[in-house]
Amino acid sequence: MNRRGKFSPVPMLFILSLIALGALIAILALDRRKPLASKKPLLVYCAAGIKAPIEKIARNYENEFGIPIELQFGGSNTQLASARASGKGDLFLAADESYVKSGRQQGLIHESFPIASMHPIIAVRKGNPKNIQTLDDLLKEDIQIAQANPDAAAIGKLTKPALEKAGYWDKLKPRTRTFEMTVNDVGNAIKLGTVDAGIVWDITVRQFEGLEAVQSPVFDSVNSSITLGVLSSSTDPAAAIKFARYVTAADKGLVVFKKNGYTVVAGDRWTEFPEVRVLAGAMLRPAIDETLTAFEQREGCRITRVYNGCGILVAQMKAGERPDAYFACDTSFMREVTDLFIDPAEVSINHLVIVVPRGNPHHVASLKDLGQPGLRVGVGREKQCALGALTRKTLEQVGLHDSIMENVKVQSPTGDFLVNQLRTGSLDAVVAYVSNTTSAKGEVQTIPVDVPCATAIQPVAIGRESQHKFLMGRLLDALESRQSRERFVAQGFDWMLGAPPQSSANAR
Amino acid sequence: MSLTRAEPHRTATRHRLGSDVPFVLALLVIGGFYILLILSMLLADVSFLSPVVTAGTFLHQPLWSIRQMVFSAVAPLQSRELRYALKLSMISCSITAILSLYVAVPLGYLLSRFQFPLKGLVDVVLDIPIVLPPLVIGLSLLILFQTPIGRAIDKRLPMTYAVPGVILAQFSVACAFAVRTMRVTFDQLNPRTEQVAMTLGCSRFQAFWRVTLPESRRGVLTAGTLAWARALGEFGPILVFSGATRMRTEVLPTSVFLELSVGNLEAAVGVSMLMVVAAVAVLLIVRFAGSQASLSGGVRP
Repeated sequence: MNRRGKFSPVPMLFILSLIALGALIAILALDRRKPLASKKPLLVYCAAGIKAPIEKIARNYENEFGIPIELQFGGSNTQLASARASGKGDLFLAADESYVKSGRQQGLIHESFPIASMHPIIAVRKGNPKNIQTLDDLLKEDIQIAQANPDAAAIGKLTKPALEKAGYWDKLKPRTRTFEMTVNDVGNAIKLGTVDAGIVWDITVRQFEGLEAVQSPVFDSVNSSITLGVLSSSTDPAAAIKFARYVTAADKGLVVFKKNGYTVVAGDRWTEFPEVRVLAGAMLRPAIDETLTAFEQREGCRITRVYNGCGILVAQMKAGERPDAYFACDTSFMREVTDLFIDPAEVSINHLVIVVPRGNPHHVASLKDLGQPGLRVGVGREKQCALGALTRKTLEQVGLHDSIMENVKVQSPTGDFLVNQLRTGSLDAVVAYVSNTTSAKGEVQTIPVDVPCATAIQPVAIGRESQHKFLMGRLLDALESRQSRERFVAQGFDWMLGAPPQSSANAR
Repeated sequence: MSLTRAEPHRTATRHRLGSDVPFVLALLVIGGFYILLILSMLLADVSFLSPVVTAGTFLHQPLWSIRQMVFSAVAPLQSRELRYALKLSMISCSITAILSLYVAVPLGYLLSRFQFPLKGLVDVVLDIPIVLPPLVIGLSLLILFQTPIGRAIDKRLPMTYAVPGVILAQFSVACAFAVRTMRVTFDQLNPRTEQVAMTLGCSRFQAFWRVTLPESRRGVLTAGTLAWARALGEFGPILVFSGATRMRTEVLPTSVFLELSVGNLEAAVGVSMLMVVAAVAVLLIVRFAGSQASLSGGVRP
């Protein structure tokens, strides 16, 4: 024993264990997949009026990430038309949201990113030599005016209805010497002295030296919102969305917009690879997981999902957890953490049903039959899940609670566990959600519960403290999209939202 | 050894009232019950997945049935997500096991050989991770990392909802088991060999390093495999503390839970079988390597 003490293998084993530890950690660390940086240029169709800030932002982005940005300028509508005609390009920067909306309706645009707002004014040369104070002054004999073509540029499209309403359009039209294709052309015409005044954006005046703005009450309620849309034709949507996020980041692109005098939206802070957390009730996983994965790939972000019983999730949030979004099994759970979230949207409905083995051996036809002697019944545990609370409420409403509870052999935290137990033969009937039965369709059958309150409503909301509210807004758009709806319906949920929404991100 | 065997041989003729066979049979029956229970659970799982395998086929064509079992276990590997979960499970458990040993060996030695104030309290504290529901550990970790210090750590080394958090969650539970095992191991080693080493000029550390540690190799092996196995089965704290993000923090037990919680029994059982096969493979390798080591080491039979 003493002889071999000299050759103790302990130090060697210790060193070996250290090497093994290092190697294992290295494998994990190297495994963090890095998205491939594409050096392919991005083509952006831009509204001409936004030229100054977007050029600066594009240069910054090229310096930072080495991805060339190709900008193409023109009137908003002209640009949308060329995007459609060419079937190429990655992004579309519109002077007004309406172009992005119509692009979405035509299937040309996927995501939209709100940026800033602009306001129409009357522009004159510095010092206002012709003393123009109101729209009426533009009607004077010696005044030459210019406007932007309503069919090509956003400013014309937005001011035309306002002018019509105030009765100026027909008077101004014959006096307008030129209808330009872009707002910048109108600005140039005034600056050069070709015309005396024109209708342009407040921003245009700030960007053109030698111009001055005159406010008109006619335009008071007219505002455009500059919006960046991601084109469906983009061959690298992740790269396009990354640039879009850069342009609309509060500490990147929006700073440039602000410096140029725009009134900007709040915007998310810039992170190259955003990471967000979504808490969701376990029953929602089959309906939303695919949508979340598709969103991750498109946006180049990471979504950490925590699926669990809603009671447990609420407890986690009360313990300090602050997710970027929460998708609850029922509005009752959302209500418990309502201060943490903004405007929950009710997405889907799940109905309570009686589930029995195929063939219905015990001839259960209604809730009342669950009270028949000897039947082994399973229900949700009241305190832990929406299902349990809902079941109790329903049974109490029809006055069957006490008689059925006598037959209850199992109270489980999720409906799926109940259905599993039914499948293994240890229960004769369970009360669960219809969505719990989709994976066991061949083996069980459902009997509807005709009680008005026997439904759970699933709301989703963005966290008040989220650093990525706009990103989450787009995620909610994805969850409310038609593809998402199909996944919900396939899982047995009823869809609650009306028509597929246009851009709820902007509304939020 | 030869003494203990020789003696009963001689006295047996005087005291033996009957054969040893009933006793051994009783042992076999009692032990067999448990082994049968484990095997029939596995068999039930397999026949759930591939209904062609039944107890009958298992008796008549055991090899074919085992092949079916392995097939059903590796079937989930077609999914990229589950391959990742398997890899993460294996690597994180191994890291957890090694880290647990680094803590368990010194701590077990300390508790076994030294008396110090509040030792009883330390003992109780070490039991907390064992008795506490795993879910509570996860929740406590989550709350811990919401504190200013926790947040500061989280900023430098992301724990919450990240892979290091998976390891931390596993470690929090598994290490307690390793510490217990090491303590019992050191308790059972006769301190005399250590004391002799010290009288022969070893320092306490040298005696520990050269005598006690080699003597405790089997205990170390057991503690390591116990921690590893415990970590493999861990999912409560991981689900709460690390989330269940596919391709990121999803380990095999998380997959089982997720599939089960949405009623996909087939997938849940499939992944369970995968875990059984993976665990058995790893434990067999470690035992084999361990027995080789103890043979070549040969400190104590």
